[in-house]
Amino acid sequence: MDMAARFQDQLVFHMTGKRAGDGLAPVDVTQLRPAALAPFRDLARLRYDYPLVLPEAAADGDYVHSLSAVVGSLLADIAPRGIEGERLRKHVLRLERELRTMLARGEAGTLSEMWATAAARLGSGDVTVAKVLAQAGDSLKVDGDVVDCDAQLPARFVRQAWRAAQARKGGEFRQLVDGLIRKLSDIQRAAFAHSAAGQQPQALAASIGSAHADVFDFAVMSKLVARNAPRDELPAARRARIEGALSVLRAQPFYEDPAAVGGSMRYQFEFDDCAAAVDAYRARLPRLTAMVRAIAIAELESSGAYVAADHDPFFERYDENALTADDLALFPDYLVTIPADRNDASENAGLIDMLSAGLPVKVLVQQTDLLEEASIGTGHFAFGVRSARLATTAMGLGGMFVLQATSADLYALRERVQRGLACRGPALFSIFAGSPAAAGDLPPYLTAAAARESRAFPAFAYDATAGENWAARFSLAGNRNAGDDWAVDPLEYADDDLQRVTEPVAFTYADFVLCDRRYASHFAVVPRERWNDGMLPVAQWVRLPERPATERVPYLWAVDADDRLHRVIVDARLMQATRRCLLLWHRLQEHAGIHDSHAERLLARERAAWETEKQQARVALAQAAGVAATEAPASVAAPAPAAEAEAAGEKPPSDEAWIETARCPSCNECQTINDRMFAYNDNKQAYIKDIDAGTYRQLVEAAEVCQVAIIHPGKPRNPNEPGLAELLERAKPFL
Amino acid sequence: MAIPVTQCIIKLHEEHHNLEDYQGGVPRWCSGCGDNAILAAVQRLCRDEDLAPERTVFVSGIGCSSRFPHYMKTYGFHGIHGRAFPIAEGVKMARPDLSVFVNTGDGDCCSIGAAHWIHAIRYNMNMTVILHDNHVYGLTKKQASPTSPMGMKSNTTPRGAVLEALNPLTVTLGVQNVSFVAQGVDWIPDLLYDIIAKAYRHRGFSFVRIIQRCPEFLPKMFEPWLHDPGKTLLLTHANGLTPSAETSRIYKNQREHDPLDIHKAREIASGEDPIPVGILYQNPEVPCYEEVRGAGQPRTAEHIRAGLEAEFDKVTIWPEEGRTQPRAA
Ligand SMILES: Cc1ncc(C[n+]2csc(CCOP(=O)(O)OP(=O)(O)O)c2C)c(N)n1
Ligand code: SF4
Ligand code: SF4
Repeated sequence: MDMAARFQDQLVFHMTGKRAGDGLAPVDVTQLRPAALAPFRDLARLRYDYPLVLPEAAADGDYVHSLSAVVGSLLADIAPRGIEGERLRKHVLRLERELRTMLARGEAGTLSEMWATAAARLGSGDVTVAKVLAQAGDSLKVDGDVVDCDAQLPARFVRQAWRAAQARKGGEFRQLVDGLIRKLSDIQRAAFAHSAAGQQPQALAASIGSAHADVFDFAVMSKLVARNAPRDELPAARRARIEGALSVLRAQPFYEDPAAVGGSMRYQFEFDDCAAAVDAYRARLPRLTAMVRAIAIAELESSGAYVAADHDPFFERYDENALTADDLALFPDYLVTIPADRNDASENAGLIDMLSAGLPVKVLVQQTDLLEEASIGTGHFAFGVRSARLATTAMGLGGMFVLQATSADLYALRERVQRGLACRGPALFSIFAGSPAAAGDLPPYLTAAAARESRAFPAFAYDATAGENWAARFSLAGNRNAGDDWAVDPLEYADDDLQRVTEPVAFTYADFVLCDRRYASHFAVVPRERWNDGMLPVAQWVRLPERPATERVPYLWAVDADDRLHRVIVDARLMQATRRCLLLWHRLQEHAGIHDSHAERLLARERAAWETEKQQARVALAQAAGVAATEAPASVAAPAPAAEAEAAGEKPPSDEAWIETARCPSCNECQTINDRMFAYNDNKQAYIKDIDAGTYRQLVEAAEVCQVAIIHPGKPRNPNEPGLAELLERAKPFL
Repeated sequence: MAIPVTQCIIKLHEEHHNLEDYQGGVPRWCSGCGDNAILAAVQRLCRDEDLAPERTVFVSGIGCSSRFPHYMKTYGFHGIHGRAFPIAEGVKMARPDLSVFVNTGDGDCCSIGAAHWIHAIRYNMNMTVILHDNHVYGLTKKQASPTSPMGMKSNTTPRGAVLEALNPLTVTLGVQNVSFVAQGVDWIPDLLYDIIAKAYRHRGFSFVRIIQRCPEFLPKMFEPWLHDPGKTLLLTHANGLTPSAETSRIYKNQREHDPLDIHKAREIASGEDPIPVGILYQNPEVPCYEEVRGAGQPRTAEHIRAGLEAEFDKVTIWPEEGRTQPRAA
């Protein structure tokens, strides 16, 4: 068969998805995987973010640890430099590997439990090793459940973060409410001490305590106190208000109350469907409103700022309509964890309703399958119908926090998760946790990472509170090569002449699909002798316009279990989905300001205008050359600001008496001379209040005593005042 | 902490204050005393910032200037000589929500209270400190103070002071954790007001030295500066003082100085003629002691009892044999 005919087979496969003849082999997913995944065959041998340790009763910023980081800091603490340390390091790292293997086998437990098991296992033949590993285990600073990157991870991770966030909020709430309870109780106690009842002998005796009770005569003391101490009964309305607020504050059911005897009644806030969460929220709203009202009253009362005339009408009408997002933020958020098998259209409709109502909910939607075929059953990929679209739809609603990520990213994005849980108002976490077992043989971590790398499920975050515009609110952080179409890695292999070749290879949506055995029929393996120039890497093929694309066949690099390199060609249907995936990725890039079409158009326009201008300037310059410059560039001398200030300055000598009030340092001297003539203004600086309230002599004397010499006596108003000649002489320096 | 709803409700009944709301007793300072100008500026500040009188405290030591709290209709503590700082620190520690001011004289602060002064700077607690520096002990009728210039005659230095005067600005600028240092003079009221306002708004220990006239005992001391505006060096900066056109017209001797530059600040501070006026140094990043130590914790009877027990335990000798360790609380 000639080369052209061979290529024809490939074209036919590409267009129809049918293998004709024997030139193309089917893909066996258990054997082949995308070349980019070749280095990750045995995850247990790699030290990466997972597994994680979830400490119990974790602080907000410290709710999750990576096992390798925990082990790393343990070694930094206990392993000395040199040969001794090296040996210890080796044993501990072997134990870390054992922990990974145990998890992959399905074993579970806390870090300390699993550590003990692993140490016993590894040290079974060697007492010293067992002892060293057990000792190392005792030095661990972190303990808690060890979890791997599997289908359960998103729920456990988000719940862990949510609990830490609620614990922090609970602490702040308790501090607020306990403080108010204390202050209101203090008011009650003080009122009692000042009341007739509080001044009775028994009450006085109780306030002294038993140790020195015999040295007092409380009957006499009561008489004395009653006679001299002020009686200060609480007005009935205020007493009722304080008692009412106290009883609401004491009976709050929102957070655990460590002081409550026999455990306090407390609401649950974890749900696994939207409707139940919304019902609970509605049912509790009256209690919540009463609580906010009681807190507000308590704060006003305890700072003495409650003014009945102003505040009574407000609180009489206070209801849930007056609640703001900030008020709601005091209370626990509702956590709704929607499992992957219930992530259906009706649940999603309820979810969108709930999110758009702005309720204080944090919703985790778990995705396990990104590649279902369209329900219309045409064999087309229903790309992103349920999964990727949910987060973008939520983002379109605005006013909330949205995070889309895969379980492989959760640890790296832990601060972002925390931020989402701390935000006021709703948050949506749409997390892909790797495919169900049916889909392939990759461990869930790799499937999840592949989904992100291939742009099938890119990581992005939208935080409505982060700023005014998309640039501040939207982030594509967490994706590699976020500015490009695909993430690219160098692929190293040996060619026919056993020479090392390095080639950049993109990891595309089609590579991701290659990991899924359900879609093996969309691929065919091309034997090496049939490789030809008509074949084009997928990443280049999708960039071709439609017509030339029909003449080429797209292929991927794949490796088998023996690390042999293969080219795998892809059918048109899958390429259509790949194109669509890229389109959606470009849309996200635009949100992030990458290749923003508006900006690029504007830039092109400005650049063109600038070029034209420069060109014109060049022409003008060429024309002007030879013509001598006749005029110096026009430069207009700016008016000197100093001169202006000078002009606005001192008042001319005046016949009227006056004071430079702004310069008066309030020394009182002038008012000591005549406090009807001189007075202070609102800023306590002197001015002449009534020139007729005194004599010219007093004006001149004031001018003389004024140490900053800002009193100007002017001319005498009464020509008959005695001694004027001498006074005029004394006034001269101050005119 | 006030919850959002309270914050808006408080607005339903907002109180506004005027100058009289802060005026306590009639000052008994000599007429013409520079303390009057400081009082006026502070009262203006309280009014303009709408400080609630019941949440404002003035603490002082002993001296003419230390009579200040009597003239403010707020809370006040006329303390003992040299001890204004420890008292103010205690107030701030127990009630970090209050606005705390300290008024102290050059004798009170730089002589008997010098040790407390140094440590107060280092603690950097959020308070506004006004050093009324008249270069003399006024209340006790004219003895030399640490800031009296060399040669100054007084009842304790009849032949003239023999030592060079202490410079409170350079001392303050030399202490770790210093966060705000400024200087004003009582006879330029608008700058005095601006400086005190800046000091009040600074989060930390704001130290303002005010050159203050004592016409009773040193009537001629500042005359040259009063009559020659060129002998005042006005420090200007976008983050410091931005004097009005009217002020600039009179005080033409100006220098731009960035308050973040501590080296320049030290250099300027050591100049005494012309007198530098303005913000010498301001660093908003220095942590405040009350924040570092989590001040303002509730003081319930249980807290106080536990604290006292712990203190007593430290010095208790346990009679039973073998019990050398304090009892567990
Ligand atoms: C322990 C103690 N020592 C000495 C005195 C006496 N005394 C009272 S005021 C004062 C000096 C005040 O000077 P300054 O602080 O500069 O205040 P001014 O009066 O100048 O404003 C002295 C030494 C005192 N009251 N207590
Ligand atoms: S004498 Fe001069 S400084 Fe004193 S109050 Fe009167 S105007 Fe002001
Ligand atoms: S003695 Fe001096 S400091 Fe004291 S009040 Fe009189 S003028 Fe002011």
